[in-house]
Amino acid sequence: MLTYSLKRLAQLFVTVLGVVTLVFFTMRMIPGDPISAMAGDNLAGAALDKMREQMGLTEPLLLQYLHYLGGLAVLDFGNTVTTRLPIIQLILDALPVTVSIALGTIFLTVLIAIPLGTLAAYMAHKGHRMLDNAITGVAMVLDLMPSFWTSLVCLLIFSLALGWFPASGTVNIDDPVQMLRRVALPVLVLSMAQIATMARITRTSVLEVLSEDYVRTARSMGWSELRVLFRHALKNAALPIVTVIGLSFGNLLNGTVIVEFIFTLPGIGNLLVGGINSRDYQMVQTLILFYALIFVVINFATDLVYRLFDPRVQF
Amino acid sequence: MTQEIVALPTRRPLDVSSLPIQGLLRLVSNSRVQLALAILMPIIFLTIFRSVLPLPGPLDTNLRAMMQPPSIEHLFGTDRMGRDLLSRTLAGVQISMFVGFAVAMLALAVGLVMGTLSGFFGGVVDRVTMAITDIFLAFPSLLLAIGLVSVMGTGMLPVVLAISLSDVPRFIRLQRSLVLTLRTRAYIDAARTVKASQFWLMTRHIVPNTIAPLLVAASIAAANAILVEAGLSFLGLGIMPPEPSLGNLIRDGQSYLEQAWWISTLPGVVILLIAIGLHFLSDGIRQVLDPRSRK
Repeated sequence: MLTYSLKRLAQLFVTVLGVVTLVFFTMRMIPGDPISAMAGDNLAGAALDKMREQMGLTEPLLLQYLHYLGGLAVLDFGNTVTTRLPIIQLILDALPVTVSIALGTIFLTVLIAIPLGTLAAYMAHKGHRMLDNAITGVAMVLDLMPSFWTSLVCLLIFSLALGWFPASGTVNIDDPVQMLRRVALPVLVLSMAQIATMARITRTSVLEVLSEDYVRTARSMGWSELRVLFRHALKNAALPIVTVIGLSFGNLLNGTVIVEFIFTLPGIGNLLVGGINSRDYQMVQTLILFYALIFVVINFATDLVYRLFDPRVQF
Repeated sequence: MTQEIVALPTRRPLDVSSLPIQGLLRLVSNSRVQLALAILMPIIFLTIFRSVLPLPGPLDTNLRAMMQPPSIEHLFGTDRMGRDLLSRTLAGVQISMFVGFAVAMLALAVGLVMGTLSGFFGGVVDRVTMAITDIFLAFPSLLLAIGLVSVMGTGMLPVVLAISLSDVPRFIRLQRSLVLTLRTRAYIDAARTVKASQFWLMTRHIVPNTIAPLLVAASIAAANAILVEAGLSFLGLGIMPPEPSLGNLIRDGQSYLEQAWWISTLPGVVILLIAIGLHFLSDGIRQVLDPRSRK
């Protein structure tokens, strides 16, 4: 296990280095440089050169790259081009919002999708195709709805028509009730897409387990159906479900960008869109990198958890 | 009857090249494909013939009919400049369809070539290709597209390239794994013993057998590309107004959600229908082309 983890960790390191390199050089391929993009027509000649000098843009590309790597190692992402604030500070300020949306979504998804998927599997197993088909069909439609459209429809119904949740307004992490009201709709929207995937996987893996011999044995021992379903079937079907929670994290990150933008939540996604609109390449570069790192690390952790808990996986 | 030949065990799983019409007939007789066609065909026909239909042009403004709710005259209503939303939506569908098709074809072509080479030759070629795909797969797909578009700029070509770049690694992986499993089959060894060249093996024995799963993946990629394009345009990073795309139509309506619900919601319904149609299509292709899934 340890050698495997170390090997995977080395692989992870190579991938991360590749990601950093790709992001760095892609951003340098932009015609012009960050300074001229940022300054527009306001600055010219000597002032521009001075700023370039300050930001180290006159150095050879390779040296800039090494400096950049050195900065990353100590979590120094530089300053935003427009406001001159340290980017790491902005990220740390925005992180709690994004994390609470993500965690809320995972929680709600698990809460709804797992019983739903189990129910669908049970119904399919018993030959009641109607309910199974209905759940699978609804899951498919939910999965294909574009999240920005779902967001607007939810806004229309729950904020504008019913007035249950505020459509915008300040977000204060220290005020849980207000925070919950602001985050509820985005979480609902993101969950809708995630529930579909997770319910489908739950259904498939529970259905597979239900035809195993030990489930039949449990039944023949006279356990109630509920106990058989949850204690014996679901428990053994849990591993693929956990894996999917990890793997669907990429989709979740995609989704947070969209909902933060629509519901004007001050999270990382909003920083990203703002950075693109103000042509702050330093910011965009850092944030894309940041998302990729989160995604890679979570995939890595999922893989390890999978191997740790599945006794059948050999090393 | 040629039907009897079909039943022989030596028949290859897919023989599109020699039996295009028969293959097509089998595809169309599948119920999933029929469902897909029932959803997609009307949308495609309306889009193709929108210039002949009695509709105002997608860019024609009419200041006497601003923000009108759906009616017989304007089925999808009008926007703040009095432009007919059905006409704009259909123009957007045309862009979506193009993006979906272009991305699927581009990703399929590049994935086919690189995945085949990687899987067939193995060794250094394979390692390097896999390392590169690993790097690209480290980005969540929409975020990679956002990053690329922020570098390449907005518009049709950058959007197609950005979405393709995030799909290509998936196709390479798929094709590579298909080639790896086919490579060890006995019929490949048989071909080798009669001195078939590498090129012959690849093009005659391996690639044709990978087409079916690739086509399934391509139709999913097309649906996905349409959703990503809409997402990018919605964020203001894809197709830019006044050129209508389903994403920027929805973005336009966002500020008027309270006064004019139809601007954002109706184009979204069309995106959803297209996505569902393509989903059924990929399901149907899978059922028809993969002999193992046939009951």
